Amino acid sequence: MTFSADQRPERGARGPWGLYVHVPFCSSLCSYCHFVRTADHDDAVRTRYVEDLLLELRLRSRRCGILSRRERPLATVYLGGGTPSLLEPELIERLVAGTVATFPHRPDLEMTIEANPESFDDLKAGWWRELGINRVSLGIQSLQPRILKMLGRAADPAQARAALRRAGRRFDRVSADWILGPALRVDELCDELDEAVDLGVKHFSLYILEVHTGTMLAERVARGQVRLPQDEDTERVYLAAGAHLEKLGFNQYEVANFARPGAESRHNQAYWSGRPYLGLGPGAHSFWGRRRSANVADPAEWSRRLAIGSVPEDEVDPLDRTARRLERIILALRTAAGVPLDWLPGGALDVERGCELGWWTIQRERLVLTRLGFLRIDGFEAALATRLDV
Amino acid sequence: MPLNRDKTRNFCIIAHIDHGKSTLADRLLEATGTLKGKELQEQVLDSMDLERERGITIKSHPIRMNYEDPRGESWTLNLIDTPGHVDFHYEVSRSLAACEGALLVVDAVQGVQAQTINNMYLALEHDLEIIPVINKIDLPAARPEYVQEQFIDLLGCDPDEVLLVSAKTGEGIPDLLDAITDRVPSPEGDPKERAKALIFDSIFDPYVGAVAYVRMFAGTISKGDKIYCMGNEKRFDVGELGWFRLTRMGQDTLEAGEVGFIATGAKDVRHVRVGDTITLADEPCDHPWPGYAEAKPMVFSGLYPTDNDQYDDLLEALEKLQMNDAALSWEKESSAALGFGFRCGFLGLLHLEIIQERLEREYGLNLIATLPNVEYEVLLRDGSVQLCENPALLPEAKHIEEIREPIVHASIITPKDFVGAVIQISLERRGVQTKMEYLDPERVCIEFDIPLNELVVDYYDKLKSVTKGYASLDYEYRRHQMDDLVRLDILINGDLVDALTCIVHRENAYTWGLKLCQKLKELIPRQMFAVAIQAAVGTRVLARTSVKAFRKNVTAKCYGGDISRKRKLLEKQKEGKKRMKQVGSVEIPQDAFLAVLKVER
Repeated sequence: MTFSADQRPERGARGPWGLYVHVPFCSSLCSYCHFVRTADHDDAVRTRYVEDLLLELRLRSRRCGILSRRERPLATVYLGGGTPSLLEPELIERLVAGTVATFPHRPDLEMTIEANPESFDDLKAGWWRELGINRVSLGIQSLQPRILKMLGRAADPAQARAALRRAGRRFDRVSADWILGPALRVDELCDELDEAVDLGVKHFSLYILEVHTGTMLAERVARGQVRLPQDEDTERVYLAAGAHLEKLGFNQYEVANFARPGAESRHNQAYWSGRPYLGLGPGAHSFWGRRRSANVADPAEWSRRLAIGSVPEDEVDPLDRTARRLERIILALRTAAGVPLDWLPGGALDVERGCELGWWTIQRERLVLTRLGFLRIDGFEAALATRLDV
Repeated sequence: MPLNRDKTRNFCIIAHIDHGKSTLADRLLEATGTLKGKELQEQVLDSMDLERERGITIKSHPIRMNYEDPRGESWTLNLIDTPGHVDFHYEVSRSLAACEGALLVVDAVQGVQAQTINNMYLALEHDLEIIPVINKIDLPAARPEYVQEQFIDLLGCDPDEVLLVSAKTGEGIPDLLDAITDRVPSPEGDPKERAKALIFDSIFDPYVGAVAYVRMFAGTISKGDKIYCMGNEKRFDVGELGWFRLTRMGQDTLEAGEVGFIATGAKDVRHVRVGDTITLADEPCDHPWPGYAEAKPMVFSGLYPTDNDQYDDLLEALEKLQMNDAALSWEKESSAALGFGFRCGFLGLLHLEIIQERLEREYGLNLIATLPNVEYEVLLRDGSVQLCENPALLPEAKHIEEIREPIVHASIITPKDFVGAVIQISLERRGVQTKMEYLDPERVCIEFDIPLNELVVDYYDKLKSVTKGYASLDYEYRRHQMDDLVRLDILINGDLVDALTCIVHRENAYTWGLKLCQKLKELIPRQMFAVAIQAAVGTRVLARTSVKAFRKNVTAKCYGGDISRKRKLLEKQKEGKKRMKQVGSVEIPQDAFLAVLKVER
């Protein structure tokens, strides 16, 4: 059996893996967020939570030979949320010691923590560095007071700027999230991005605001209190921001992600390239042993399942051949590397027409989406999925 | 045991939809002891799921009841259940021909409906003894006196001839049984004459082949006889024959006056057609029962599988349905837009709906049905006449001298408040009013000659909506008639969508085309490319509109490694897409093919 280079991304028995740890605590709830999170917690809850995370890893290790042998190198760690920066540094230390430190890891281990401006201070920054955290992802979203208010963010622009400055001083690899949503002006956005770059940001995630049912934002949209931008406006802003970042020396390496060379998030790249990762915490996802699984989303239920010694998985998705093929294609389509043409099911995409319309280019026998194409990726994915039958 | 004709009564029930025919039949079965309590299931005689759901009868279900009256005399009562919808006119007339009497059942709240009257006239034509019955007298809103007046007006009967019944509570049922035995004449006919049996329905049974439901008018037919279907000129050996209970009960003979079944072994019901006469092959009777006609389809529609892989399944399903439904006709056709499918002919709109629903429900098919249309006569310049039941196949205008369309005579009964609205919607659909008559101070009967095509598109729905559901409609084919008709094409991104082609009156072409374009614009989702929609007569574009291409549909985050959600969403969409049709580069949802039906005038 032979493999093409794309199918062999260090996936052997000794290949590296990634660890995701979910921290569901927030100081306040953002209007658009639909992830597992809670604003109702105290230090006892947080302490107990970290112990539960360690318990989950022990339970999983007991059932999984690869984990228990502690032989595979850990390549990336990502503490996401929620707001991991809310955790006391002692708890982060306990968490890292009980998880990351128990595995052999690559010398260039990437360890990211998500932080919100209001819970990020010098003390924490210093402590995190001691623990080996070498990448900070800041939830900035905007520097406009009216937009931050609409999104329900806890921080004001001054706190956001302070956080950017602090992160830039303390960390070599700083990423910042921005949201492209209502009432956004291209010139304001570009000024904000310039400012962030000056303060040391080397990586941006630009997310187009999505309204998920059940969120406060969805309610306000339904009541007419928030007017969502027209697709034409979102398109304009996205294209302009992308072009602006490119001028500043950032490469768009995925639909929503831009980085200076070498500053890409290796953890996120693992998601798109099919490398295994383990997720701990309520609602966390894993891709392990050719199957995808998701933990139960409710923190209390997650904890209860752990207490009775059961792995708190909710959904398990054993991937069949078609599913694996489809995933491989749609994940590759998200990236700047693109999809090898011979992976594409026949007739799904009109390759020539798409080139003419500027949706993609063909580079070394791969179809690579342009920004214009990234904006329409759902349509391409649907066309591909429809034609894909094994 | 020879039949005691004097103690036999053959009768049917005529009623409008929802006026309680099936419930009444159930009550009779119960009162005569034909059904025991536990066998009694709501509406026993409507055996198809669809019939029960819609509360209508599609196939007739005869049943033989033994009844002992209060004086201790024994009777044989044959109830012939008749189809209750205008589409099945011919079947109704054959069922009536098999009886000597009819219960004319009218809802005590709603009163007489258009169809009731037409079927009543049909019954009178067959010289049936009519027993007027007012049903649902238990309802609080019942108006028995009012309905009684209607009966007296219509039938010229005496007030005391009208029976008051509640099929639900059983009130009045004993009197009804008395009326049946007293008033309905006994069947005539000599069992020693040459055999003559009228087929009033037929079904297909996979074990014994086509089974004819017959009324014996003369002679005797026995098991093992060689029989001859006179209209169809087909010979069969009688496998089984007998009476109807809930199931068929085999007997040795059927003789004059009886109602029963004859299993022919024929491999589908088209060989044993409703209205045909069965006699003995060796000693045939002189004349068949008059009025045999093959069911003539009036409404046509193209049926296409959404998924081309289901073509063979659709063919098989149609063949199976046809075994049991001689009125269903079809031929293969292909459409540039929809691929391979079938042009099917139906008795009417309900028949179409029923077949479509059965194909989808019982055979698990996903179908696209094109706009129902009618059969046009096209007189060509060379003097020949072509029949055209598919608008897309209409010859080019330059070859056409004239187009003639079927005109029906429609009668509508409506409460007087809605007369204006009924006239308006009828005139808008090119109806010509021929008569208007007050049936009573509250209700009016209006008659129109109206193109059948206008009727099949949306008339019935419209009628129901402007009269708040109170009007009833019946119609009958009259003639083909010339009018200034044109073929209206729809083009999507320049590609002709043949399945959306329709034939309209020239004066309506522009408005219709414009509205159709607008409707399609609503129904066709934004796609990668802009979609241009045009309506054209010949090369002249009458109306155009477009669906803009979407500018963004990215849902950016693949957050926290949740890849499954995205993939499952795509897999779900993929199922949805199976219900879309690709025309050129455009995906058209199934609904769009019915959009033509939903266009408001």
